[in-house]
Amino acid sequence: MKKLLILTALAILPVKAVIGADYTVDPAHTYVSFAISHLGFSTMRGKFNEQSGSLQFDPAAKEASVMIEIDATSIDTGYAKRDAHLQSPDFLNAVENPTITFKSTSATWNGAKPATVTGDLTLLGVSKPVTLTITSMKCGPNPFNKKETCGFDATGSIKRTDFGVTYGAPAIGEVLELQIGFEAVKN
Amino acid sequence: MEQLLSRPEIQSAVVPFVIALVVYLGLRKITASAWLWALLVAFLASAALINGLIVNPLTGTRKIILLVTASFVAAALLHWILRSDNLQRRFTTIISQVALLWVFWAVVGRMDSASMVLFLAGSISLVLVSEYLFVRIIDKPAQLHGAGFSLLLGVGLSATAAASALLGQLALALAAASGGALLGWVLSGSVSRQQTRQSIAVLPYFMAPALLGIAAVMFARLPWYALIPLTSIPFAVSLVPQKSSSRFVNALLASLPGLVIALGVAYYVWQTGSSGSGY
Repeated sequence: MKKLLILTALAILPVKAVIGADYTVDPAHTYVSFAISHLGFSTMRGKFNEQSGSLQFDPAAKEASVMIEIDATSIDTGYAKRDAHLQSPDFLNAVENPTITFKSTSATWNGAKPATVTGDLTLLGVSKPVTLTITSMKCGPNPFNKKETCGFDATGSIKRTDFGVTYGAPAIGEVLELQIGFEAVKN
Repeated sequence: MEQLLSRPEIQSAVVPFVIALVVYLGLRKITASAWLWALLVAFLASAALINGLIVNPLTGTRKIILLVTASFVAAALLHWILRSDNLQRRFTTIISQVALLWVFWAVVGRMDSASMVLFLAGSISLVLVSEYLFVRIIDKPAQLHGAGFSLLLGVGLSATAAASALLGQLALALAAASGGALLGWVLSGSVSRQQTRQSIAVLPYFMAPALLGIAAVMFARLPWYALIPLTSIPFAVSLVPQKSSSRFVNALLASLPGLVIALGVAYYVWQTGSSGSGY
């Protein structure tokens, strides 16, 4: 029985490796940004400067999974004092929770391209399901470095109080609009 | 009403001050631990308004809220169990050091060896020195409450200036509660019972500001050296003679040196720290 399981696994693994492809996030072309209401007066925007992750993408089998790790201490709103405050226990508590992660659990497809990706977003140690809408996607060789690359743009939103980020709510907006530009290079 | 209670100055100044004053005046003839219960009830009310009754995820700040609450209960109850002053001192020291490790180990455990040793040596020393300085003034109510009030005010203002309103508000709430209890002590004249004199009674006064101050250094951007003058507040307060027959004068004199240090440190942090507030 044990031998049978091993043989089965050996038989399946190469097939998966040929059909699916593994990609590694290109941090230079991955851009996780957000927008939030500031007391209703205007919309504040910011981004994270450090992220890593991976993508498994198999359009033939309509399988896609993505994992992104974001360095919470790399938050950048263009104003150092606000960034320090956003890293404090009032918001991201970045010293205690230095990593924000998104791990996909399922995807819906529109033809050969994924339409939405649903996954668990972990922020402040709290994991909640979040659905990202894929607004554009392209896979193919990068014309400059010839490397096989996949990229997509995605949008979504989260309610920060669901993750325990309650400071200043609801005056400072509770809903964060997310915009993600993502590129990954084939391993 | 809900809008009123969501205002920071109500949550961390008015509510704890009024509650502590009322509870102290209500309990002063019933129990020698009236000020402990006054501070506990006031702090719980403020913490509920500031943080909500939320413990999950159990962040360092929420651990501090739980520990401060537990320290009041422990201080009020354990002096009935531990009669020996030496035993109380040892117990108090153990509690505070275990609390320190519980709050910060999640982060300290990720540090390199040198940083870990530096942090542990610094924070353990700070807590021990703070405890020693408060124990020295345990039998002088004006100095004890004046030092507690000033130290908590200094930690609260400095933490707020150093980018964490949450830590700052919690310390300020305790400062306001101390102020309320101190006013209650002034108003109660000679009819109040002697307060608890056991060493363990100082647990909340040195543990709460120490944990909140260290958290502001670690989680926000309070410069570590700001904690040195703040820790010296009970010592500065002890230098002021308590010779007046007026409780009000004694309370005022006992609070002044601490207030000068607290406001000076907060102003320095505001001016020089990478403050997140004020943008």
